[in-house]
Amino acid sequence: MRLPFLFAFAAVVFAAATATATAAPASLDITARNVDFYYNRFIVTADGDVRVRLSDGTVVTGQTFTMDLKLNRYLIAGNVHVDGPGIHQVGAGWAGYPDLDRTFFLPEGVEPIRYTYFGSDWTNPHPGREQPGDAFNFPDLTGERPYIIASGVRIVPKTNALFTLPRIYTAGIYTPLPRYVVTFSANPHYFENAFPGGRFDVGLPFNGSEHSLTALHIRNEPYNGTFLAFDQHFVWDKDYIVFGVDPLTQEQREYNLIGYKRESPGLETRLFLQESAAQPGIINRPINAAGYAQLQINAALKRSGISYTEDNYYQYLLGFKPPADDTQLVYVNPSYDPRWREHPMQAQLIWTGYENRVTKSIPLLFRLRSGVGLAHDIYGEGGFPNEQPGPPDSFYHRVGGTVYTPAIKVAGNVRFTAQYDREKTWFNVPHQTDLADTRLTLSDALQKAHLNTFLSYEVRNTADYWGAQQLAAYPVGTAAGGCIAPAYDTCVTQWGTFSGQDAFRGLATLRALVAGLIYTPSAAFAFSAQIAKNKDFPAPIPGIYGQPPYQLSLDVRVRVSRQILLDLSRQYYFNFAGERWTPQLGLQISP
Amino acid sequence: MTMRRAFALLAAFAVVALAAPGLAQGTLVRFTGQLLDVGSGYVYFTTGAAFKLAPTVAYNDYDTGKPTTLRPAPKLFARAVLDPGTKQVVELDLTKKRLASDTTYAPDVQSAVATKPTVTSAPEIVGVRVTGKEVPVEFVVTVPPTTPINATVYLSTDASGWNPQAIKLDRIDGSRYRVVRRLASGTKFVFRVTRGSWNSVEVGEDGLEPPQPRQFFVTESDSRSYPVTVYGWSDNRANAPQGAQPGAIPTPFNPNPFPPGLYPPSRATPPGGFPTPRPGFPNKPPR
Repeated sequence: MRLPFLFAFAAVVFAAATATATAAPASLDITARNVDFYYNRFIVTADGDVRVRLSDGTVVTGQTFTMDLKLNRYLIAGNVHVDGPGIHQVGAGWAGYPDLDRTFFLPEGVEPIRYTYFGSDWTNPHPGREQPGDAFNFPDLTGERPYIIASGVRIVPKTNALFTLPRIYTAGIYTPLPRYVVTFSANPHYFENAFPGGRFDVGLPFNGSEHSLTALHIRNEPYNGTFLAFDQHFVWDKDYIVFGVDPLTQEQREYNLIGYKRESPGLETRLFLQESAAQPGIINRPINAAGYAQLQINAALKRSGISYTEDNYYQYLLGFKPPADDTQLVYVNPSYDPRWREHPMQAQLIWTGYENRVTKSIPLLFRLRSGVGLAHDIYGEGGFPNEQPGPPDSFYHRVGGTVYTPAIKVAGNVRFTAQYDREKTWFNVPHQTDLADTRLTLSDALQKAHLNTFLSYEVRNTADYWGAQQLAAYPVGTAAGGCIAPAYDTCVTQWGTFSGQDAFRGLATLRALVAGLIYTPSAAFAFSAQIAKNKDFPAPIPGIYGQPPYQLSLDVRVRVSRQILLDLSRQYYFNFAGERWTPQLGLQISP
Repeated sequence: MTMRRAFALLAAFAVVALAAPGLAQGTLVRFTGQLLDVGSGYVYFTTGAAFKLAPTVAYNDYDTGKPTTLRPAPKLFARAVLDPGTKQVVELDLTKKRLASDTTYAPDVQSAVATKPTVTSAPEIVGVRVTGKEVPVEFVVTVPPTTPINATVYLSTDASGWNPQAIKLDRIDGSRYRVVRRLASGTKFVFRVTRGSWNSVEVGEDGLEPPQPRQFFVTESDSRSYPVTVYGWSDNRANAPQGAQPGAIPTPFNPNPFPPGLYPPSRATPPGGFPTPRPGFPNKPPR
């Protein structure tokens, strides 16, 4: 009876051993006297007493190590000793090509020869097999400065590199840190972020593996000031989860979680969860908490796609004992709001069609769309003056489409594009919205002068029809609801007095004439300017709504070095609301 | 006369004696490259070629030709002086200075390579020969027609840590954006098109996120143009130019026409002045 068990056990062990032997190295653990990382080249080098441990336990030592993280190949050279399961060799160079699942080796012996190992099977060296001509080449790092200097690094090929005791080059000095992770994965999901916007964000990723990344962030935003935040990523080939706590050190905190799952080539699910908490201290019980959840499911159909989105709002997440009668609660908890028991939600299902041609010969394309949706709030949806309180449920359905041309050559490099979009939405609260957007664009490319120019004219009409209830839904002063002075025909704000507001009764029109110029004499310099003339109805009120009548946007991009592109941008508002140049000069540095 | 013969004989002997080593060595040949290692009596270059060291090999400075204190080590550059007769390296001139490596072997050098020739082909080794020269690459992105005229469009790449605002494009007409970048030939340019955040990234025609980022391989050429078509954005799957949510007044520039105090709010506000849930999606680049 024991024999079959023994055979089975042996078979399992053999199978496992075979699998281990043929698997490509999943990670490299490197220690050396000096480990350098060149960020602009994505190259790691190590010199002096180099010891590289492959994930199968094989240890390779040598005098120098280099790895190109993007090309995913590494080299150990100089008095190389290889010791592992089935291998004890001395050689001149050991070059690993995980993508090819090959390792190339130059053993030192009586007669030099080339060995090629398949996977991690070190028992068969396949002597005399062809090798890449540059397998043992060192990269040229002349003039390069290492971004990180460390004593060790753990490299997960195609994913990340975790440096131990690194010193990171920042603003002219090397700043010591306990650990630092550089993620170089081609999988963008590692960079999906669970933080809301902020003024600046410096990430300190300190832990990572083949499928995870953990980071602290130093962030700044106007409301919370400068603070620490935390995020955790779990990433697979197509799926990911991101969890973030922002801020970690301030009282008003957000816990965010994003989950994405690709169930099949034609189906994906995305989940976003957010808890907003008033929580003094890091681990104290919150004194208040609210939540938001969004579920989105997208599916591919024949020449179209369908998307379901559901939003849920949770007003109060902390437990409380509901009173028998809401009116009694004021004596128990003066801040009690009966709406804590309910949570509003909304959902919509959207169908979007593919791009289609009207006919084969006419350059006219169209896309159709439609959708249904509902919104629920037991205390009333709508918020319109004539619907107070609004009904608890609001249903709607919509139909829309876009007809447009591709860029049509008019003469020379002059091209013309046109588009017309229309969408109507019908609500159960008896009203309907009608949106129309027309845009014509003429462009020209003066290639010898490196100039591109365009002129665009756009009209957007937005109408909300209530029939006989129109004037009740949009009483006088509706548009200027945020005025300091009583909002009727004249609106007074800190920027001045704006009259003519009573004319707005639910129908808005925006007209915009936009001219753009792009000058790119070389790949190292680009200048673009855009000037827009907006004519809105109702007329804009600064700080409340609307677009400035005139707006100039300038953008200059200069490549100051091989690695750094400087992008400067600024807007000018032609004294609208006393505003001329925007106080902030947009500055972005990118590779 | 005898003396004269003796002198002539002596002179001839001296000439032969002086010339003999040179005759034995023949014309010395040289090979220049970067060192991989020296060990077991061989010098290995990064080409993978190994040459046998003569027992009396001299280590000299590359520039002065005099003995050097440098010891042969990986990454140093060296010029190997070979004796074609013995096929051994008789002199190794070392330097830390970068030298142009010999990419092809002279016949004499080839015959002196001690590494056994490869006899089996490796079909898995394939590649396109590239030199890494800078190639101007033009990316022309056609956007959905409902993209606002003043929208900013970016390329996000792995080389920039997937910063969603990595490379800004310029609008060139009603439907297209463009940027030119100089990329080294051989570059595998992996990217996605965004409108500045991961909440507004391109989606496929079916509305789903493309399973893999776009990839563009820069081949050896004078210039390249790469057209890209974006069918939709993840924050506007309906491809509508403007949304009209229930409860929102239909003026797209005015999200809240009925501020608190003017009319009763439609949704509850938790006590203590804490704002209601903020359904704002993260949108900042992580690092």
